[in-house]
Amino acid sequence: MKPAPFDYLAPTSLADAVEALGSYGADAKVLAGGQSLVPVMAMRMSRFDHLIDLNRIPELDFVRHEAADVVIGAMTRESRVGSDPTIAENVPLLTDATQYIGHFQIRNRGTLGGSLAHADPAAEYPAVAMALDATMHLVGPDGSRSVSPEEFFLGPMTCCAEDEELLHSVSFPVWGPGSGFSVQEFARRAGDFATAGVAVGIRVADGVVDKAAIAFFGMASAPVRARELEIELVGQKAMDLDFQEVGNQAVAHLQPPDDIHASSSLRRQIGAQLASRALSTAVKEAT
Amino acid sequence: MTAVAGRYVGQSVKRREDARLVTGHGRFVEDVAWPGTLHVAFLRSPIARGRIVNLDVSAALAVPGVHSVLTAADLNEHAREWWQNMIGKDAPMPPKRLLAEHDVRFVGEAIAMVLATSRYVAEDGVELIDVDFEAETPVLVERAGFEGVAADDANLVHPEWGSNVAQALPGPMGPGMPLDNPALEAVLASAAHVVTETFTQHRYLCVPMESQGINVRWDRHRERLEIVSATQSPHEVRSCAARLIGINDSQVHVVADDVGGGFGQKMFPATEELAVIMAAYRLGAALRWIEDRNENLIAGGHARNEDLTMTVATDESGKILGVRAHHREDIGAFPAYAVGSSASSVGMYLPGPYGFGEYFFSSEAVFTNTCGRVAYRGPWMMESVAREQMMDVTALAIGMDPLEFRRRNVVTPDQLPFTTSTGLVYETVTPQATLEQAAEMVGYDAFRAEQAEARTHGRLLGIGLSSYIEPSVGFGIMGAEQVDLRIDYDGSVVATTGSGSHGQSVETTLSQVIAETLGVDIDKVVFTQGDTAVAPFGSGTGGSRTAAVYGGAAREASVLLRNKVLAIAAEVLEASSDDLDMDLGVVAVRGNPGATISLADVAAVAYAGYTILPESIEPGLDVSFRIRAPMFMFSNATHAAVVEVDPVTGAVKVLRYLVSEDCGNMINPMVVEGQIAGGVVQGIGGVFYENFVYDADGNPLTTTFLDYLLPTAAEVPTIEYGHIVTPSPTPGGFKPIGEGGAINSPAALINAVRDALTPFGARVVSQPLGPQQIVDLIKGPASSAESI
Repeated sequence: MKPAPFDYLAPTSLADAVEALGSYGADAKVLAGGQSLVPVMAMRMSRFDHLIDLNRIPELDFVRHEAADVVIGAMTRESRVGSDPTIAENVPLLTDATQYIGHFQIRNRGTLGGSLAHADPAAEYPAVAMALDATMHLVGPDGSRSVSPEEFFLGPMTCCAEDEELLHSVSFPVWGPGSGFSVQEFARRAGDFATAGVAVGIRVADGVVDKAAIAFFGMASAPVRARELEIELVGQKAMDLDFQEVGNQAVAHLQPPDDIHASSSLRRQIGAQLASRALSTAVKEAT
Repeated sequence: MTAVAGRYVGQSVKRREDARLVTGHGRFVEDVAWPGTLHVAFLRSPIARGRIVNLDVSAALAVPGVHSVLTAADLNEHAREWWQNMIGKDAPMPPKRLLAEHDVRFVGEAIAMVLATSRYVAEDGVELIDVDFEAETPVLVERAGFEGVAADDANLVHPEWGSNVAQALPGPMGPGMPLDNPALEAVLASAAHVVTETFTQHRYLCVPMESQGINVRWDRHRERLEIVSATQSPHEVRSCAARLIGINDSQVHVVADDVGGGFGQKMFPATEELAVIMAAYRLGAALRWIEDRNENLIAGGHARNEDLTMTVATDESGKILGVRAHHREDIGAFPAYAVGSSASSVGMYLPGPYGFGEYFFSSEAVFTNTCGRVAYRGPWMMESVAREQMMDVTALAIGMDPLEFRRRNVVTPDQLPFTTSTGLVYETVTPQATLEQAAEMVGYDAFRAEQAEARTHGRLLGIGLSSYIEPSVGFGIMGAEQVDLRIDYDGSVVATTGSGSHGQSVETTLSQVIAETLGVDIDKVVFTQGDTAVAPFGSGTGGSRTAAVYGGAAREASVLLRNKVLAIAAEVLEASSDDLDMDLGVVAVRGNPGATISLADVAAVAYAGYTILPESIEPGLDVSFRIRAPMFMFSNATHAAVVEVDPVTGAVKVLRYLVSEDCGNMINPMVVEGQIAGGVVQGIGGVFYENFVYDADGNPLTTTFLDYLLPTAAEVPTIEYGHIVTPSPTPGGFKPIGEGGAINSPAALINAVRDALTPFGARVVSQPLGPQQIVDLIKGPASSAESI
């Protein structure tokens, strides 16, 4: 369990990192917190000629409240995301989700951008980004571009970043007053990747749902929204919602994966319960 | 013997090991760095069974930093003898080989070893070895079923053995077991109730936090082999190394400093370690191999993986009249010792804390193309896993509560000494007392009411009991351990023995026994183990013997030394030694506070001023005591688990877990509880999380901690303890306790789950009980009921 040989680069500015990526492209790999990459390197399941370490680039580590968004740098540690007061106040779904990520040692190294770019379908942050309609900002030698989560997450462990691009930051919209959020997750053990999980946001005005977002993780090849159901929820009285029924509807169209830990149908069964619990919690918080 | 609680013995003395360990200053095998050491990486078989048709190492040899690449052709023929002290040379054994030769027999078998300047370079070399196989049909229970493997004469794991059946009992290899029991057949034919069930436990593993590993160098000028090893038994490593390469034991120096767990996996050197030893000797080099986690999981030795069918006959009142049992094991290709079967122990210990009446046991073990079986904390523990489930299943079948059924069959004090159906004699066990204490602590009767109430709200609560007798053997080399004890010139006490603590707190507990018995400050006791250059021959730490056997020897050695100290002090103080006391290293005349002498002054007399002593007192202050332990030592315990099952997710939460035990006098209650807790956590892991899986081609599917799930602190409840103290007749009154937590916890947990699932009529007879299995158990009978 020792990696194959590679060259190591540790640029200290974003410009240098982008330049290095531009020259090595597909022969390079970017290192963020390393919590997923380093183990697969050690098993020689990931091989490349150049490792570009982003850990010495301070300009990628920030949390800023800008207009209607909270913008977070890709190299912001998960432990900071989980404890930052600006995030807790304006994007509490991120704060809530962070507690489920691994263990504190992992969160001390792992980064927001690393988790998103790694695109593990069972990870928490991709579902939060999906639920909140975040905007992912990519940067490359040809400039920057911004994409939606739907465009960003292509499949298991696959995001839309080109070989020469890296994730720079992510904008999370602030939902404002009357909102409630909840992340619910089931995992074999505390800190494991989710067997099934869901991130939910609800906004209620005058007792009526005016915005809803339900995003599952661990239930498909990428985080997935229950869009049709969300549309149905908007306009309904929050107090009249049958959470169990809504939970069942939320998973009805999903075909979750099978593995040695849980079958597809068990995942759906668990997902319905989690969605029901998350909606109930979020509505309570919103009203 | 009566219970003791002295200055040290009986106290929860803080561990002497911890300061260095918790500050990161332990010295494990990987912390030893010799100059010029070459690092070893193995090429391992990617297929379960096949011929090696091409093996070309030239590209690996060309890698800068690769020193050499060794294959079977370089090493295997030089192996002289290969057997273990603890097993003996006459035990039947499947073929053994340092590296795979001509064919491979499980995924992970070592084929070649690359020696390089670093492990990184060695792995680069491994990748470049060109090897081709002609795959053959693997012999797998997962593929052909147990009977299919046993009957397959066309595909043999070991053609040299002539059959895939490794051992069958009763049979020519059995220890004098009867071939049948007609009296049992009569009982089964006439009993009021006869219940049969088969219990299976899956493959799960020791998984020590520190993997295996070894540093070896051969000094050809001094003709001396030096080994630092992560082992439970330094003398076993010494003997195995010496006989493998054909030198004397005394030419081999083995050191094991801190060892990060073993659980049986490190009782004997691994095949890879022996290959490294042979390579170091042949090349005259310093070599190191540190097993990585992937290697440890796929090739470090597997465990459990067996089933047991029991038929129990009772009378109308629920009294057991007879038991028939048949045990089957899949022991893999290259078990760690002998043929790797635990069957003779399973059969012997199966009656546990109950009267079984008429009894018959049979077993069959098969070789398969999987990783071989290794000892794992209570290697025979299927007896408890099956028996204690059978107690519940039988109780349910005859309409009796499991606690009541146990009460009617448990060995009671008036039956002692009690001879089991297998001829074991219990003298100081208290299974009835621990059963009642556990039932009291858990609030058994109140729980039944709470459970009924919870069910009306759709909550699934369950309770499970499990009782056992923990045996420890004191025969062969395991029954005669020695402690050397001396007082140095400065008055400090130096103790040396052949134990091999790998987490059991031996440094603390044996020091407690010595300090207490001798009458010195524990800080004055310097304790050394794990070094064959200074320690008397021993069998290491394993088999739950350290407290009873080493502890007994430490106590007797301390008595001898104390007597000598008092005899010398009596001369100096001009008093009778009968009138002397020693406490905290000061000898004083009772009733004369002014007449004292320190241990340092006694030592000065013993080593330098001995001319004042009579001829009958030899100079010096050193003693040795080698104990002769009883052939069997026993403790007992009852575990109780309360669980809640979530019917939607299939998650099981352990709400309460408690243990009532009787290990005799406790040297250190904290350590006793720590031993139990660690074992219980392994039971929680085995029942709910850990599962080593092969596919039908013999490919391991759970090769990292991402898929092989160990329990963490978050999955473990606070464990409650009840202690019954009934001293054994051995010196100190100590009993075995090291393995019981792992032996007895699975059945308590499984029984609790079965109890919780009673409303569904679920047949709970195998593990792991992960969410999927739980949900399937809940759905199974319900869906079939719907179809009726």
